[in-house]
Amino acid sequence: MPIVQVNNVTKVFKERSNSIPVYALASVSIEIEEGAFTAVCGPSGSGKTTLLNLIGCLDRPTEGTITLGGEAISSLPQRKLSALRLNKIGFIFQEYNLIPTLTAIENVEYVLWLQKVSAHERRKRAIEICQRFKIDKLVNRRPFQMSRGQQQRVAVARAIVHKPSIVLGDELTANLDHKTGTELMEFLRELNEKENITFLYATHDPAMMKLAHRIISLQDGKLINEKAAIQTDL
Amino acid sequence: MLLLKLAFLNIGRNPRRSAITVLAVGVGLAALIFLWGFSDGTNNQMRENVIRLLTGHVQIHAADFQKTLSAELIIPDRIPVLEKIKALPHVSSMTERAKCEALIGTSEKSRGILLTGIDPTSEILVTDLKNYIKEGEFLLPGDERKAIIGDRLAEKIQVGLGDKVVIMTQAMDGTLSGYAYQLKGIFHTGSQTLDEVSAYITLNSAQDLLGLGEETHEIVVRLNRRDAIPTFLSAIKEIVSQDQHEVLTWNEIMPEVEQWVDWSEAIIRTILMAVMIVIGVSIMNTVLMSVLERTRELGVMMAIGTTPGQVIRLILLETFVLELFGIALGLLGGYLVTFYFGQVGIAFPELERAFSRSYMSTVTYTHVEPFHVVQSILILLIMTSFIGLYPAWKAGRMEPIKAIYRP
Ligand SMILES: Nc1ncnc2c1ncn2[C@@H]1O[C@H](COP(=O)(O)OP(=O)(O)OP(=O)(O)O)[C@@H](O)[C@H]1O
Ligand SMILES: [Mg+2]
Repeated sequence: MPIVQVNNVTKVFKERSNSIPVYALASVSIEIEEGAFTAVCGPSGSGKTTLLNLIGCLDRPTEGTITLGGEAISSLPQRKLSALRLNKIGFIFQEYNLIPTLTAIENVEYVLWLQKVSAHERRKRAIEICQRFKIDKLVNRRPFQMSRGQQQRVAVARAIVHKPSIVLGDELTANLDHKTGTELMEFLRELNEKENITFLYATHDPAMMKLAHRIISLQDGKLINEKAAIQTDL
Repeated sequence: MLLLKLAFLNIGRNPRRSAITVLAVGVGLAALIFLWGFSDGTNNQMRENVIRLLTGHVQIHAADFQKTLSAELIIPDRIPVLEKIKALPHVSSMTERAKCEALIGTSEKSRGILLTGIDPTSEILVTDLKNYIKEGEFLLPGDERKAIIGDRLAEKIQVGLGDKVVIMTQAMDGTLSGYAYQLKGIFHTGSQTLDEVSAYITLNSAQDLLGLGEETHEIVVRLNRRDAIPTFLSAIKEIVSQDQHEVLTWNEIMPEVEQWVDWSEAIIRTILMAVMIVIGVSIMNTVLMSVLERTRELGVMMAIGTTPGQVIRLILLETFVLELFGIALGLLGGYLVTFYFGQVGIAFPELERAFSRSYMSTVTYTHVEPFHVVQSILILLIMTSFIGLYPAWKAGRMEPIKAIYRP
């Protein structure tokens, strides 16, 4: 069974009752299989961020349903969504992912703290992941003492430390130079292959798309060219 | 625990702003403590002045004497009552008086006064009048036909030390009685009641004047502490008879003192509320600004699973920690200043005339009642908690996507 099922989802933004409605997504249906490494691409304003936010339980669809691990999320109350985000989802945003007052390792531990994992266990798991990510030299630095690439690596560590069902990345390399961005994506791909972590990321960058198993293309909130995308992968 | 750590770290992010807030709370609270110290100091001195100069802690009369001052209302069962009071706990000294309304004058001038017959030996153990003699001397046992009066009264009837004055009153049997007395001393207490409308003669002379024999009108008791009064009152109920005696505390005899205290404390409470509002707004401003600055960060925290409740608690904790620092500073500063002026005193010599009606001292030694400090801090905590709810609620209500993708 797919980890994520997006069924006929429409998202309409309407600032005021008299303003023109914006169809950020229009009748989109997508399935994401466990272990997939999927890119969402499309021009600016095509609905990439909107799609990720809906899957990430940050927003609710206007129409249609979304299931996460078989559970319909569209109708859940806010409190449940918060718990779902904590337990099932890892987020990596474009920038400023980290809590600036906390050190790298404290940022990684933060999610585990939210999950009420004991202090000892928290530290153990955070150290372990930092070693695996080769960021153990950074553990006691605060975000402002790290480069953007380093910050994103810590953000990745935080996004997967609690073993979520899916990790969502919105333009996570957009603020990095090409080399750092590619390295980060290759690292994610490696994690995907070795640990079967499901990734879904939005990007503008063709270089980042190339790494995907599958590319979902959006235009004006509609799904286009899915087959061609799969061909790209082949 | 992590929330508390985060709260501390967030406060440390803008040290200058946090310091200013802590200072605002601290200075505000210190000022309030000092104000209470001044008020409590003044009021306590005023209470003690009244007790030491005039009333003692408790007085025992025949029923209705205080109101009527009738010469025939002598203390029932005087000897046994005296003996029993002596044995009560907390009693440090006692004296007896005879008291009546009288007329004092010379051939030219006369005034209505309150005449009090005192036993000089025991009176000085109960009240401090002796210390206020400005000219001449205090009464001695055996001083027949000698009187002491206040300086303002002396001025009004134009008499001086050694002069003769006539004091007339209605004796116990209803007849008019009067003698000439030589002025042995003139006192100045600063209290208008005493200085202008009081005269003292010895108890024996008064008993003679009023035809009382051995009887007296008033037993004045001085206790070792003011707060022993309730204990003493419950003990004395066993001794005196409910319908033949009246037992009055200093504060029932001089109710205007506590009325004044209530009034002055009401003013301080008004100031207190104003200061609290200023402190509250200052804290809210700091916390609200720090919340608005952190919109994105709080949004990310919520996106990765921090609940609105946790965000609210974080912001409330930040408010609370700022407040605690402020309170610590305020307590320290307030107590230091109050302690200092409790030692050196604050003098208002030029206000003597204004104060004379109220038995205030012209030098105030600040002294704060812990109750008032606790009360101020509680009000501060309750009020700022309410005010602090606003930024916290604003932070908790944020929607993560709006916070993260805000333009
Ligand atoms: N909160 C919102 N209110 C109103 N309109 C919105 C809101 N969020 C997105 N939109 C609109 O929905 C459409 C899709 O936006 P979205 O952010 O999903 O695009 P995107 O593909 O992520 O673009 P980009 O590549 O620039 O990040 C756009 O037209 C956008 O203006
Ligand atoms: Mg976007």
